[in-house]
Amino acid sequence: MKQKYIALLAAAALAGCNPVEEWGPVFTGSHDEPSAFQPAQMEANISIKDLCKTYSQGVPHKMAGNHIIAGKVVSTDQPGNFYKSFYIQDETAGIEIKMGRNGLYNDYHLGQTIYIECNDLWLGMYGYKEGNYGGQGMVQIGAKDVTGKYETSYLESPLMIDLHVHKGALGEAVEPKVLAEAELPKKNDNQCTNSNVGRLVTLPGLVYTDQAFVLLYPDPNRPHESTDPENRLFLSSDNNNVVISNKANWKIFTWAMSKTNIIEHLENGDWDHATIGSGQSDFGPITGQVSATGMFKDCKHSSGKLMTYKELLIKNAAAQSVSQYFKMGNTQIQVRTSGFSKFADKAIPSDVLSGKRKVNITGVLCMYQGSIQMTVNSLDDITYEDGTPLY
Amino acid sequence: MRKLLSMASALLLSAIIFAQAPTGGVTGSVVSRAGRLPIPGADLVISKDGVIVATSKAAEDGKFLISELANGMYTMDVTADGYKDLVVNVTVDKGYVKDMVFVTMNPDTQVESIDAGSFTEFDMDDSGYNDNPTILFSGNDPYNAVAGYGFSNIRFKNRGYNSEAQDVYFSGVRLNDAITGYSPYSLWTGLNEVTRSKDNTTGLEASEYGTGGYNGSTNVYGNPASVRKGLRASVLTNSSLYRLRLMLTYGSGPLDNGWSYAVSASARLGGNDWIKGVYYRSFAYYLGAEKNFGNGHNFAIMHFATPGQRGAQNASTQEVYDLMGDNMYNSNWGYQNGKVRNSRVRKTFEPVTVLKYTYAPSGDFESNTTFLWRTGFNGYTALDWYDAPDPRADYYRNLPSYSFANSDEGDDQNARYDYSYNELNDKGKLMYEAWTSRSEDYRMYQHLDWDRLYVVNSQAGGRAKYAQEQRHVDQNDFNLAETIRWNLSENLTMNFGANFKYNRTENYKRIADLLGAQYYLNVDSFAERDFAINEAKIQNDLDYYLDNGLQSQKILTNGKYGYDYFANVIKANVWSVQNFSKNNWEASLAFKVGYESFWREGMMRKGLFAGTAEEVAMINLRLPASQKLSPVYDKNGQAVTSKGKSAVQQFITGSVKAYVSRTFQGGHRLYANAGIFSDAPTFSEAFISPRTRNTVIDGLKNKFTYSADLNYQYSNKGYNLRFTAFYTKIKNQSDVMSFYDDSQNSFTNFAMTGIDQRHMGIEFGFSLPLFVSGLSLEGALSAGEYIYTSNPYMVQTIDNSAEIVRESIVPYWSEVPHYATYEENGVIDFDSRVDGSRIQTGFTKHYVPSTPQIAAQLGLKYNINYWFFELNAQCYAKSYLDMNPLYRTDFANKGCFDEYGNLIYNEDVNKGGHAHFYYMTEQEEFAPVFLLNASIGKSWYVKNNQIGFSLQVNNITNNRNVKTGGYEQTRLQNSADKSLYYRFQSKYFYMAGINYMLNLYFRF
Repeated sequence: MKQKYIALLAAAALAGCNPVEEWGPVFTGSHDEPSAFQPAQMEANISIKDLCKTYSQGVPHKMAGNHIIAGKVVSTDQPGNFYKSFYIQDETAGIEIKMGRNGLYNDYHLGQTIYIECNDLWLGMYGYKEGNYGGQGMVQIGAKDVTGKYETSYLESPLMIDLHVHKGALGEAVEPKVLAEAELPKKNDNQCTNSNVGRLVTLPGLVYTDQAFVLLYPDPNRPHESTDPENRLFLSSDNNNVVISNKANWKIFTWAMSKTNIIEHLENGDWDHATIGSGQSDFGPITGQVSATGMFKDCKHSSGKLMTYKELLIKNAAAQSVSQYFKMGNTQIQVRTSGFSKFADKAIPSDVLSGKRKVNITGVLCMYQGSIQMTVNSLDDITYEDGTPLY
Repeated sequence: MRKLLSMASALLLSAIIFAQAPTGGVTGSVVSRAGRLPIPGADLVISKDGVIVATSKAAEDGKFLISELANGMYTMDVTADGYKDLVVNVTVDKGYVKDMVFVTMNPDTQVESIDAGSFTEFDMDDSGYNDNPTILFSGNDPYNAVAGYGFSNIRFKNRGYNSEAQDVYFSGVRLNDAITGYSPYSLWTGLNEVTRSKDNTTGLEASEYGTGGYNGSTNVYGNPASVRKGLRASVLTNSSLYRLRLMLTYGSGPLDNGWSYAVSASARLGGNDWIKGVYYRSFAYYLGAEKNFGNGHNFAIMHFATPGQRGAQNASTQEVYDLMGDNMYNSNWGYQNGKVRNSRVRKTFEPVTVLKYTYAPSGDFESNTTFLWRTGFNGYTALDWYDAPDPRADYYRNLPSYSFANSDEGDDQNARYDYSYNELNDKGKLMYEAWTSRSEDYRMYQHLDWDRLYVVNSQAGGRAKYAQEQRHVDQNDFNLAETIRWNLSENLTMNFGANFKYNRTENYKRIADLLGAQYYLNVDSFAERDFAINEAKIQNDLDYYLDNGLQSQKILTNGKYGYDYFANVIKANVWSVQNFSKNNWEASLAFKVGYESFWREGMMRKGLFAGTAEEVAMINLRLPASQKLSPVYDKNGQAVTSKGKSAVQQFITGSVKAYVSRTFQGGHRLYANAGIFSDAPTFSEAFISPRTRNTVIDGLKNKFTYSADLNYQYSNKGYNLRFTAFYTKIKNQSDVMSFYDDSQNSFTNFAMTGIDQRHMGIEFGFSLPLFVSGLSLEGALSAGEYIYTSNPYMVQTIDNSAEIVRESIVPYWSEVPHYATYEENGVIDFDSRVDGSRIQTGFTKHYVPSTPQIAAQLGLKYNINYWFFELNAQCYAKSYLDMNPLYRTDFANKGCFDEYGNLIYNEDVNKGGHAHFYYMTEQEEFAPVFLLNASIGKSWYVKNNQIGFSLQVNNITNNRNVKTGGYEQTRLQNSADKSLYYRFQSKYFYMAGINYMLNLYFRF
């Protein structure tokens, strides 16, 4: 009997050892909540504008000199109209930080101060185009782009982000600056020459100009560069590259187009007259069969009959960005919206489309090939001229 | 006294019964299996049809003689301290005394087998695959004795079959999972002592409890009287699963008043040496009482459960393992406030209650009526997040290969991870550094960063961006089983019965932890990407939205969200097994006819699939114009619904089995089995996306299995061997793989139909006494070829819509063709026929994965003075990775064929052609494995008490490169020029390195 007790006591003693830690490394008790967020304490030693001035046209460079910029976050990717990056602004300009992560708004909040330790990051430009029809783009901060396609690439690496992008104190959302037409940048302006570029601004009294621009791909999973015209469908111009009425020709009355929206347009026959390719490489209307010798020669029905471009467009439909064009006085303003934004399919009110009513648009003012491009955070940033909400 | 009287009565009764029959007997020596050492004092009890007719004890030299037995078949129970109980069949014929020569017993001081079902929980939930090893129990079969425990460390699947091919009964009730068919060992894991008594059949053999499947059957008795009498306690520690197991069991044995009772409790606690984050905090209890009322009436009640939790292990890519320098890396855990927390934890409490009534008015007739009810919950936690970055450290975009793949257009193979540090760009180098630095400052890049999740939630205005969900599969399983054994004559026994099962399983998820937030919003974040404009359409619970002023539901801790549906299953069958015996011949014929039906019953109305046209019309009356919904139809024109009852799927099932055996003088036996099975698909194989809708896959039909085996057995003079050859064809299986595809930002479902397999091979097991007393050689070999023999039809859908994303045959599923080549002027190309087609020279087969097709073990056992020593070597080969269908489609192999559909010759794997085609389509074979294991044990008897220990050391060579499973990710990566698709890196599980298991036990 004594042995029984000894055995049971031994088992109980073992069982009683450290019952919570359970012979680490496993902890299975209740976990305490971690400590609260501690903002970074840093100081900027260069303005965004001055940093941008270190950029030479067409020559992206790896930054040195222990520069630190500080700015408040003015964009959010929450509604999905900004993608994998955010803008910060100081008193001198704003600049895009190409992060390469989704859901940035969870970590980088509107109004929060962000410090960028610039050493080893790259400064480059996106959207510059030479010539009379071109102009300036936007100076950006990112990583080196080794493909050579762009001047910078996304940071992406979590360690790279943590080493260079520091989260400062949370703050109130930045109030946009209301601009007059005279304050708008010209085609050769960028952050170095116009302090409104890259910043959150309100452009009042914009009138719709009945122009839209969309680029669709019959199969986005095949090559679709400018050298692959058979896989490109422009909805903006006629066969002679003359921009034509959106209302009469494309019927795109939403800010952008989700996949469902695109399929509806195609099935309704709204774009049956649109032609694949561009001026010199015209593959005919989308209702025609794909070229028997082109890149879609393998796209056939089970009967062996070649598919039409329209059928391909429906089959491979994906959300697409749309540019809707407005005017502020005599200056053209492009409002570009992502097809993945949550308000992509929101219809533009008919009184705006008809030009009867003007709108005020608040967004980040960007330059693309010398043109002004506004990107809004949400549809709350677009109101009628008198300030009443659009929706 | 009463016992003596009953025994005397039994003997008297048997004497009367057999008074007119010629008498014979049985003789032999009771010896230890290892080395044929005599076992003096072993108790022998001879029974016929449950009635004891003779008893004896082995002499000092182990010899025994039981005479005056009438001709016929008997059961001889042999028990001895320190040895496992043994039951053997004895046939007395023509009045002769049968000399059994040796009756061999297995020492009971062997290594304690790990609890059935105590495999590391492989986290396969979002992969679309499953992993369920087969568990074999030894019985007296020499193959099972070795393979059953010996092969379990490699997650061996016997004969390559899935676990649903093995019938597992508890107290005569088949308990394979009603939804998936998987074996149910987890219901009683940790209750080793009370589930120790069991019957096993192998392969196609039928049992007394049912006709069984084609991968054997196991019936756990589980009743209190079957629990060994006395108090048993054990303390076990091991280094590969958990730190400690404590087990305490008491069995009263049959008492004079007819009662028997048994209680058992156990705890398994702690982590292990190999896989961080994997831990156990599991408990188990059993309570049972049984009353023998006399006159053949017996009633038993049992109740048991295994409440607790255990952390799961996740698979990672080889790149991640290499970066961490550890094939045991587990991405499921991370630090919270400096303490390890696993995001994937299985939490269960599934009590089982059994009522069993037995009526055995005579030895010739026994009826068992059993009611079994399984209930409770089975939850599995996982991280959920809404519109926030993927929190997993090993997300592919956090790996150097991602930056490397995007860095060089000329060589853009995404799956490539054989890079050197110097090849990486700045981003890649930092990613590499983040993974390879062992500083504490870098651990948030290598593991989940729980602290960040709390920070994000704290800044999100109360709404949880990250939460820990718990996915529930809560079963209510009602079973009624009736089995009858009727000995119609000396040569004919009939077993028959009927089974009824009604299973109602609720599948839902709930918030387990809001991680510092106040609520989680019950919207479908996947649908939101495509339909954000329509708030009604993205609601997980549209009815709540309509009833609450068009406000989405805010879910608090423990609240249900996401999905909620019942899987309802009804199974009923009648069966019969007739056993014939005459002289040295035995035969049996078994058949089963059944009915199965299942249906889904949705409890939440999803905005995506709001209902029929009539229902949607009513709903639209309550929605503003901007949120009007439309009914959704499948390709057959049926409305796709999420709430309410689906169409009932009904199937007639059946099976027929035949068995014949001939025993020859000298311990030889030759026997064969054959069977045909028509089985219904399971619920989990039928619904395309049960989380979201009531749609089943097209062409749902019974699967058919044809199986046969031929066996030779030798059992004599302590030698014991079995050789089996088997052949099985499985036709027309279906499967649904569902996994999260972040490229689609949605769950994607692959429904496959027409999957055929062929399994053929041999099994060989033996136990041979050697020249040194107490020494024996034991071994087992399983060698087979388990292959796919058809190219199934695949339909791909996503949860967001009823639209079919892709459907096609999977042309390279079962094999990959190879073609003749020719060389001209130093240029090699494929040879062609006149019509231009390629000339096929052969093909590469594709194999049933996740088990070695060759497994072998050879070991030496030595027993002396209650010590035992064992050393064995194991070899495993021809194990294959689980395949996904997508890589085997023409779609995924774009760029590899010319305009006429002929494979292009190109040796550059990064260009369209045959090298790339084989890279995409061929199945990965794991490297062969060699393992060395040893064990030692000893028991002491002090008065009538036994104390002992066993110590086992596995994988002595510390081989840490043994892949035990894994899967291909079901994703494609487009090349930079979009001319080719590449694979994503596959994910693997590895076996633990050197590990030990020490068991101390006390039996009073």
